[in-house]
Amino acid sequence: MEQYSAAEKIYELFSEKALALGIPEPVLVIAAYAIPCLVVINLIQGAAGMLTYAERKISADIQNRIGANRVGPFGLIQFLADGVKLFLKEDIIPDAADRKLFKLAPYIVLSSTVLAAIVVPFGGSFIVADLNIGLIFIIVVSSLLVVGFLMSGWASNNKWALLGGIRSAAQIISYEIPTALSLLCIVLITGTFSLQETVMSQGLWPWQWFIFHNPFSFVAFFIFFVSALAEMNRTPFDFPEAESELVSGYNVEYSGMRFSIFFIAEYGSIFIISGLAAAVFLGGGNIGLDPYESPLHMQLLMVGVFFAKTVPLCLVIIWVRWSMPRLRIDQMLTMCWKYFIPIAFACLVATAIWLLVFNGNGIFWRMPAP
Amino acid sequence: MNAIRNYMDNILKAVTSTAKGMGITLRYWALEPSITVEYPDRLGKGVTAEDLVSERFRGFLGFEPSVCIACLQCQRVCPTDCIKVGTEKRDEVRFITRFDVNQAKCMHCGLCVEECPTEALFFTKRYEGACFDMEGLCFSHVGEPVPAAKRKREDGGQE
Ligand code: SF4
Ligand code: SF4
Repeated sequence: MEQYSAAEKIYELFSEKALALGIPEPVLVIAAYAIPCLVVINLIQGAAGMLTYAERKISADIQNRIGANRVGPFGLIQFLADGVKLFLKEDIIPDAADRKLFKLAPYIVLSSTVLAAIVVPFGGSFIVADLNIGLIFIIVVSSLLVVGFLMSGWASNNKWALLGGIRSAAQIISYEIPTALSLLCIVLITGTFSLQETVMSQGLWPWQWFIFHNPFSFVAFFIFFVSALAEMNRTPFDFPEAESELVSGYNVEYSGMRFSIFFIAEYGSIFIISGLAAAVFLGGGNIGLDPYESPLHMQLLMVGVFFAKTVPLCLVIIWVRWSMPRLRIDQMLTMCWKYFIPIAFACLVATAIWLLVFNGNGIFWRMPAP
Repeated sequence: MNAIRNYMDNILKAVTSTAKGMGITLRYWALEPSITVEYPDRLGKGVTAEDLVSERFRGFLGFEPSVCIACLQCQRVCPTDCIKVGTEKRDEVRFITRFDVNQAKCMHCGLCVEECPTEALFFTKRYEGACFDMEGLCFSHVGEPVPAAKRKREDGGQE
């Protein structure tokens, strides 16, 4: 199957008109590639903003408080006020810091999140690029996070920050393995790394989703979800920024906009990981129609379905944060190496055997006719 | 065999304890109402800031001139010299000409209230004293001079 790319679609759509108007070709190409990028960056920003609001409200509800309620109706635009506040803060770079690395690190962290968003199918034909190596791409760019964290920790020239960076390296690299292995279970079923195809081979109803394909993919979903939590440094795995031990970890020396970029990246990755889990395990925006051929209102409905699955997952991630205490670092590594990796391997092998025995069919899911 | 049982036990424990903890927070999230009082502008109908504090709250000092015998005990006992009492004798009657309390210096220790023999000095529940100038916290409880109350005699009867 050929690769789908939103930029090419936009180019095809507008090329005739634009060339007739005399807009030079390079400008058109740049615009065609810039539009999806801007949309994705803004989507992540918006999602991050709404998630900070949700985080405030949910944590307040859980602790019998009220939460943000001053800015706008129900405090809905509190995140804008936060953003303005962070804009106005002084941007401090410590004297002893490595200035170049210090400035670069937040962008690397953010770009890891934004790059991952490229291959996430938002339902319908709304996907920036349907790479045929989509899942591998996501796993690769999410380990870019380590580089950013280590860089910020090292460049800050601060022992808390460096400890945070080193912890994040240990954590993210170990949790990469169960994440990848649990995703591989699904790759075994579909036989493709492309996310859009993974979504298309599921269906509207829950029994057509890959989480219920067989008992092992059910386990794989939870392993994926928990190790994804660890990969993006959410509580109960927030060792890199363990507030009680490391002050604030790798970002302790950052202030103002640079800090908020870390912040946006953290909340953006909540959204991306939830979207990925929804797409791979929960059927994504599939409503049983072809995403590329169906009319626009059906495609928008698919987007709605995708968000209806993603938003609850985001809320669960926030809910976990306000329920669980932080583990100890040795517990975290024990959990990964002694439990998650063997179980994920077992799931992978068991899924392979299952597929062999049942000829590729799941409990309810049927292999599409070739 | 034991090791395997341990391993399985650990997994079971992790799953059940996580589920239990999340269940508790879910209950709080969904059911328990918030107990935050939205001070100061959403207190509810007829509720004032003073109603929020407990019965024995130590707020600003209150003064009742009709029972004060102008013994100056409060002024003497105050560790931070907040209280200034002025007295004057006119035609054999003692007058209180001044009773100033500097709330900015007061640490609400309660010594003055304990010391006062007639309960002329007492704590009110008022606590909202934010102002732009320290002078705003100096209260004069006596404007026009008022006659001091009569002291009780040693044997307990009125003079
Ligand atoms: S409460 Fe204490 S500090 Fe305040 S006026 Fe009385 S004696 Fe002084
Ligand atoms: S307030 Fe009480 S202690 Fe102070 S002068 Fe009057 S009677 Fe004496």
